[in-house]
Amino acid sequence: MTEITQHYVDQFNAASAGLAGRGLPWLDDQRQAAIELFAKSGFPGQYEEDWRYTPLKPVIGKMLHVKVDSEIADTDISKDLITGLDAYRLVFVDGRFSPKYSDTSGLRDSIVMNSFEQSVVRNPELFTEAMRSEVPLSHGFAALNVAFSTDGYVIEVAENVKLDKPVEIIFIGVDSNLATQPRNIVHMGKSSQAIIIERYVSSKQTGAVVNSTSRITLDDSAKLGYYLVQTQANDASQITSVDVRQGRSSWFGCYTLTLGGQLVRNNLRVSLQEEGAHCDMLGLYNTGGKQHVDNHTTVVHAAPHCTSRELYKGVLDQRSRAVFHGRIKVEQGAQKTDASQSNNNLLLSSNAEVDTKPQLEIYADDVKCAHGATIGQMDQNSLFYLRSRGIDEQDARALLTFAFLNEVLDEIEVEPLRHSMESFLAERLLENA
Amino acid sequence: MLSIKNLHADIDGKPILKGVNLEVGTGEVHAIMGPNGSGKSTLANVLAGRDDYEVTRGSVEYRGMDLLDMKPEIRAREGLFLAFQYPVEIPGVTNMYLLKAAINSVRKHRGIEELDAREFLKLIKEKAAMVEMKQEFLYRSVNQGFSGGEKKRNEILQMALLEPHLSVLDETDSGLDIDALKIVAEGVNLLRSEQRSMVLVTHYQRLLDYIVPDYVHVLAGGRIIRSGGKELALELEKKGYGWVEDQAAA
Repeated sequence: MTEITQHYVDQFNAASAGLAGRGLPWLDDQRQAAIELFAKSGFPGQYEEDWRYTPLKPVIGKMLHVKVDSEIADTDISKDLITGLDAYRLVFVDGRFSPKYSDTSGLRDSIVMNSFEQSVVRNPELFTEAMRSEVPLSHGFAALNVAFSTDGYVIEVAENVKLDKPVEIIFIGVDSNLATQPRNIVHMGKSSQAIIIERYVSSKQTGAVVNSTSRITLDDSAKLGYYLVQTQANDASQITSVDVRQGRSSWFGCYTLTLGGQLVRNNLRVSLQEEGAHCDMLGLYNTGGKQHVDNHTTVVHAAPHCTSRELYKGVLDQRSRAVFHGRIKVEQGAQKTDASQSNNNLLLSSNAEVDTKPQLEIYADDVKCAHGATIGQMDQNSLFYLRSRGIDEQDARALLTFAFLNEVLDEIEVEPLRHSMESFLAERLLENA
Repeated sequence: MLSIKNLHADIDGKPILKGVNLEVGTGEVHAIMGPNGSGKSTLANVLAGRDDYEVTRGSVEYRGMDLLDMKPEIRAREGLFLAFQYPVEIPGVTNMYLLKAAINSVRKHRGIEELDAREFLKLIKEKAAMVEMKQEFLYRSVNQGFSGGEKKRNEILQMALLEPHLSVLDETDSGLDIDALKIVAEGVNLLRSEQRSMVLVTHYQRLLDYIVPDYVHVLAGGRIIRSGGKELALELEKKGYGWVEDQAAA
């Protein structure tokens, strides 16, 4: 065990008695298993293929800067709200649930929407078997999250229930250099429908680190639109691990929108476990400065007649860097699989860098799998065309960049969210052009 | 309007224009004809400000200004319009957006109030009808999936909207069937006026049956080797470019 691993294990032993939900056997077991696994594996290193491009060093040292006092900081959330978005809302300030800023009034009884901490402490019976299901500990960060998680959100939508409004979860970073470990759990009952918008923002430059896990289960014919929106300050870092299991004929639409952060590493794994399941995975990243955005996606076709479609588009400026690693795994017997994947990048600077890597593992013989990746620069003909119509060079560049990303923006079905992303991007593109 | 003197231009160090002289007066329509590779498109693009070309000698005066000293967008705002030989497809930018951004940038530059959404819509519908463009094309991405004729019509629509002082039409007839050619030519003819000058760059005489020029010039080997009235075009059609080239060489 390395010194740093030992340090975290010691911290766990010292803190475990005080962790939320202490005494719940399923949770205690999960935490114990997680720390044991972490003790063995430690943090992923750059010698591992899946992590070789991710500069983790600055994050690793900060992973346990937890807040000691129990006071939840005051903050002004008005500037972080999305204009025109009418949603049920849970707000977490520095990783802790803040009832003051949250609003779930009007929510039907058939829907559970609460904080992880409050639920494990006050209503542990809420945790049905589906919700207790283990987070796959595929790397040290996920293990650390399960071991140390104190809060996060819990959503369960009962059978046949359709949410009338989206659910918005806002994680605000307020205090400096804090590390938070949100553990999020979503269970969509049979034929239920919902939209979840999970957002990460910062009130100022904080240098904070968020290490989150989200465990999402969709029963038969459930539909979930899940938006992961990362607009935190550009000195903040985040590791996300989203694990999804889909039942028969269910639909999962995943939208990963990354505009903020110094280092952002998103691990997304979707498992299509029963026939007829479909998932759409959309991604958008726009980076500048020395930002590093890393998207690792895996879609597992474990049953026949499932479809998956993946499109990630990125625009990189200055010295920023992006990594896209998309894996499609078609298991034996998953016949009639239809999977597509593409990753397109636009480089605005000669110092920006993209590493893109598709990976197909196919163990069935009657399948359709397509993938493609492109890395290009601004099209000079288009630029000249726009300028010859009287449009400023700066505006023309911003417009073309915007147009490049539009294919993904267009798919955002929550209109106020799409508008907010568009204006966020427009502002940034005009500033940098 | 336009005064080109001894213009030389290179692309990748290779000389294309080798001393072009041309005077275009206000309200005049000039046709520039010539064989492939003679430098016709280069001339059109140099006038619009494409930076793939390097002007090595000569001068271009446009409405009393040094044209070569102006950025492409400033040239456009000052009323110079290039109708592209190959209009560019821009996925993700709607035609409407481009047209509105274009007209407002020109208006702003000229100190006229920008059009609001309603005023713009009224104007664009009127102009679209003029070039017989279906409304649905306005809401599609710029030129994306347009046929050759639709693209050229879109160029004329932009020209009609921007009301330039000087239009340079680069091979506007290429790739058009006869019906599309008539519609495009009609649009151009509607825009002819005593205040507006036009330079038509074309390989074939065909276009000039519909848009009758005041002057015809033959560009060959990077120079204008012969100028005349509209009858010169007919003579070229009969005798071919070899005829003037031989004469020039003699």
